[in-house]
Amino acid sequence: MTVGEGGVSNPFREDLVSRNLAEACSVVIFGATGDLTHRKLIPALYNLAVDGELPAGVQILGFARRDWSDEFFREGLEKLNRQVSRTGHDDGIWESLASNIHYHQSEFQDEDGYRRLSERLDEIDRERGGKGNRLFYIASAPEYFDDILLNLKKVGLSQERPDCEGCWSRVIVEKPFGTTLATAQHLNEVVNGTFQEKDTYRIDHYLGKETAQNIMVLRFANAIFEPMWNKEHIDHIQITCAEHLGMEGGRGGYYDKSGALRDMVQNHLLQLLSLVAMEPPTDLSADGVRDEKVKVIRSLRQWDTPELVAENVVRGQYVSGNVNGTEVPGYREEDRVNPESETEAYVALRCMVDTWRWSGVPFYVRMGKRLPKKATEISIHFKETPSVLFNALPGGVPAGNVLVIRIQPDEGISLMMNSKLPGTTLRMEPVKMDFHYASSFGKSSPEAYERLLLDAMAGDATLFARRDEVEEAWRFIDKIHHAWNKMGREIPIAEYPAGSWGPREADEMLAKDSRTWRRL
Amino acid sequence: MSEVIPTEGLGKPVEVGAIDGELKKLWEADEASTNASLMNFLVYTEDPHRLLRNTEMIQNLTREHACRAVLIAMNRKATDVKVESWITAHCHLAHGKKSICSEQIAFLLHGNSLGRLRNTVFAHLNSDLPLVFWWQGELSDLFEERLYRLLNRLIFDSATWTDPLAGFRRIAEAREESKGRMVTQDLSWTRSYFYRLAVARLFDEPTAQKAFPEIDQVRIEGNPQHRVTVLLFLAWISTRSGWSLSDCQGGKWTFLSREGLAISVNFEWDERAAPIAGMVMSAPGCEVKIEREAGSDHLCQSISAGEHHVVSRGPADADEPEGLVASQLSRGGKNTLFLTVFPQFMEILKRSE
Repeated sequence: MTVGEGGVSNPFREDLVSRNLAEACSVVIFGATGDLTHRKLIPALYNLAVDGELPAGVQILGFARRDWSDEFFREGLEKLNRQVSRTGHDDGIWESLASNIHYHQSEFQDEDGYRRLSERLDEIDRERGGKGNRLFYIASAPEYFDDILLNLKKVGLSQERPDCEGCWSRVIVEKPFGTTLATAQHLNEVVNGTFQEKDTYRIDHYLGKETAQNIMVLRFANAIFEPMWNKEHIDHIQITCAEHLGMEGGRGGYYDKSGALRDMVQNHLLQLLSLVAMEPPTDLSADGVRDEKVKVIRSLRQWDTPELVAENVVRGQYVSGNVNGTEVPGYREEDRVNPESETEAYVALRCMVDTWRWSGVPFYVRMGKRLPKKATEISIHFKETPSVLFNALPGGVPAGNVLVIRIQPDEGISLMMNSKLPGTTLRMEPVKMDFHYASSFGKSSPEAYERLLLDAMAGDATLFARRDEVEEAWRFIDKIHHAWNKMGREIPIAEYPAGSWGPREADEMLAKDSRTWRRL
Repeated sequence: MSEVIPTEGLGKPVEVGAIDGELKKLWEADEASTNASLMNFLVYTEDPHRLLRNTEMIQNLTREHACRAVLIAMNRKATDVKVESWITAHCHLAHGKKSICSEQIAFLLHGNSLGRLRNTVFAHLNSDLPLVFWWQGELSDLFEERLYRLLNRLIFDSATWTDPLAGFRRIAEAREESKGRMVTQDLSWTRSYFYRLAVARLFDEPTAQKAFPEIDQVRIEGNPQHRVTVLLFLAWISTRSGWSLSDCQGGKWTFLSREGLAISVNFEWDERAAPIAGMVMSAPGCEVKIEREAGSDHLCQSISAGEHHVVSRGPADADEPEGLVASQLSRGGKNTLFLTVFPQFMEILKRSE
């Protein structure tokens, strides 16, 4: 292939990497003085530079309200990068990156600030020979999303430059992507009125995690699993996201308005569920994968009456207890939490995916704060063997096989199997075959944001949520919220001591199905 | 009097027939450690004095690549035929918590005995795990079909060969006989990885892209010990660019672009320099340049076109073979790009002899 043919303009890029090629661009970060920029985004860009993955000529421009200089901005970023960077801090690489970092001061509502931004971007492109590609990262507080998007449109930054063939303008939107179906739809209207859907990247950092990406590999690159990945062989599936933290660091203010269902289940956990339950995609293109994922979310049985919600969803709040040897307060006593709060710090759901493959197989999803440990995992519980041979013996076979995909921490995969105990009698015990990423691959995995930023620069939206996915997820979540609002205290908030594995009601929900939560 | 080969530090001496049992005891004695293995990693040398150096290298390599390491050194000059063996484990704290260990078996084979290398390899593999074989130094008569047909990955360093053309022909034959099952990886090729990445990054820039069709000069500065790396790098540039080799006389090389433009290529050699110390591609009004000082961890990359001047820094390849092997193992893959470049490289190599 020659230069200029078929849109390929850099022959050296071909074959060097086995994925779409990231292109040089200016990355504009809104909310640049915030924690996300300092702790995640800049270290991610730095680590891409360390690995030689960052395209040459990438310019980074922080946009925020505080009156900072380029130099002050860079100093703050460097300080944090030294602390948190995955690969450590190399002065040479940092200096090279930092010379391409700039700061732009403006109010988010100030149209003139965006005009100045546009001029500055053009100036940077002129000075550095940039092509004119722009990647806008909206990492500000959600109340500014509309202002930012609308102002970008007003000054023409949301469109590809008319004088530049093959240039692009893309936007990455951080969560929360709406707080209800209506607000999500509104935000989608604004986003799609500003950027084309193909240029919109709704970030869910869970999808950038190595093990989340490995779900598809595990399922579709191993012949032993897919034939068994259905109602004939799987009894049920559990998805758990446990956090030992509570509302430290003032996060109670945000959390009390959101709750576990909206904060974690609507996005991260339903994304994991869709990866586990999806049909094999026709190809690995962004829409090929997302078409299959959205079918799963659309197939979720709707819990749309208070009775169904009471039967299939448990919400809870922790009361004071002990976590890691420390006394901790109950949810309602936490900093910035309403003492009469009705917000759930724990939620457990029984989800049914009404497809041919999953008919009758429950997906139990739980998320909670102040649980005994931090862990996110998916466990596939296979059906027990028939009641003959070993099952016919007293005591039977201990339990069915369980395949566990650990998302974080200690990423890995394990399989529980039954084995005969050594000795003259026939006794069986479960044994665990365990694969740890950290043990087997000493090299640390890239941070989720590294992969996702590179994908956005490459125009690969596979690991980003599409509009219909987001809205379908909200449709499912909203109905539960409506039922809670309608019934008020008739659907009580269950309590559990901080440091325990959640409320009894959640255990009872599974007990009714003759099942138990997996002990992590 | 037989040659004394130092073996302290190789671990516990064991009888060859008792290796499996002794390894089992080793793990049973230490319940706190996890035995991890992703592959059989075999390191072979015909220089027995490298055995200790190789065990140090495995100690470092297993930080990132858990494996069963089998080190084999052949002392072909010895008159007595005998085998000595040792076992040990290399342990590292993973994330400051868990002790992850890789087991190592070392063999010192004295004298010549038909089929012994092959048998030593096959008898001590972890079943099912891939077999990665690092052949250090010249390919000898022991590099034979019954051995390499079972390899998944063969690593070698053509920089250590006295006759690279013959060596590469041998490798090409072996790859053909293995019907593509064996992936071959030359550390000389790995040494150019970040240079290739840097070229690709620089040509992402519109200024460089615009100048690309008019490139008429390429200058590469390298270390003569790493002549193969430099030629592989040139083969990659010319293959990707669609340039064909037109002439090579008196150290002056000419390639022709698809459009018929002549591109002259010059080399500069410096024994103290990095394997590839610099590269400049010039077109009228534009210069794309990459430099690396010897021992530096970085490549300095720049584009100059009139007033437009962009400079950036990127990572450089490791100097030590173990660093190159570690990078290569991390990248994995089938090394298809190397195969694409290989015909052009062989043509360049032949003409350079």
